[in-house]
Amino acid sequence: MIWRTIPALASLVILAGCPRQALFVVLPNAEGGGVGAITIEEEKTVTTLDQPYATAESRAGSTAAIAEAQGNISVIFRSAIAAQPILPHHFRLYFILGSPEPTPESKAAYRAVFDDTKQRPVYQIEVIGFTDTLGDLPSNQALSLARAAAIRDTLVRDGLDRQAISIAGRGKRDLLVPTADQTPEPRNRRVEITVR
Amino acid sequence: MAGRKKFGLALWLAAAMLIATAGGASAAETTPIAQIKKVTGQAAVLRAGERRPAVVGDMLFVKDVIETGPDGGIGITFTDNTVFSAGPSSEIALAEFQFDSNDFRGAMLADMRRGTMAVVSGDIARSTPGAMKIRTPTAILGVRGTTFAVQVYGNH
Repeated sequence: MIWRTIPALASLVILAGCPRQALFVVLPNAEGGGVGAITIEEEKTVTTLDQPYATAESRAGSTAAIAEAQGNISVIFRSAIAAQPILPHHFRLYFILGSPEPTPESKAAYRAVFDDTKQRPVYQIEVIGFTDTLGDLPSNQALSLARAAAIRDTLVRDGLDRQAISIAGRGKRDLLVPTADQTPEPRNRRVEITVR
Repeated sequence: MAGRKKFGLALWLAAAMLIATAGGASAAETTPIAQIKKVTGQAAVLRAGERRPAVVGDMLFVKDVIETGPDGGIGITFTDNTVFSAGPSSEIALAEFQFDSNDFRGAMLADMRRGTMAVVSGDIARSTPGAMKIRTPTAILGVRGTTFAVQVYGNH
């Protein structure tokens, strides 16, 4: 038994003598939602971390999970986390049947998009328009782009930089709620907006 | 007149080609992949051998290297909504980045040479498993939709 532990102990001593080369930590999800995973590959080791504050280190050519106090992690990454910009935010606005006019509720929701840009020192906005399945492909393609353009034009009228806004139309190709063709569905008549 | 116009066009094309060749710029390297959102202390961008101060609002391109000084920090957001933020004395090369905003698929590779970085993954890690990677001098890290941090020590 002792003969088995000696090599193990010896390798521990060697490892302890080698400096840490890298540290990897899963952080709690910044804005809710599930925690995914990171997998670290080094030489013959594969280490997967999938819990908040799960930690691994690289040392002497291999990576292994280790226990690291949450307090130490906070100290090590304090500056990196402080440098984090406001994360991208997503919005969805809905439209009147066959029209590039937002629903009354979405006119109110539009305000949240505008306000979000004001929180940021710089912003980029993506606006993508969609339709329901009523009507043919070309007219829905045009309508989806018109919806995106209508929101862009409103943002520009409210003082935002046109150069920072990109628009696209997807017609009836990407449904939020799957339906048969030629089906009116209010939730599919939308634009999706990302502010980052 | 027409001949002169043609000659002018040929000259212009030749000049454009010369510029394109001299700059070594392909389409992939002229499409912005990220924007600088936050800067504290000293932070710089190394592009084609030239170091320039990092400025909030500036765009970043494939092969750019972001660097911070001993009191520096920088935060950037990619077009797939991945967010990188680096602490002091850090160096990160944006080695590879492709992203199709139509189907949210793509691939990215960043070389983390030293320092500290926090990452919030975006559309690429969400839609294309295994497509987002961070390389350290000794290991390679694959990402499946998550928030994480990496520190690379300078003494390797």
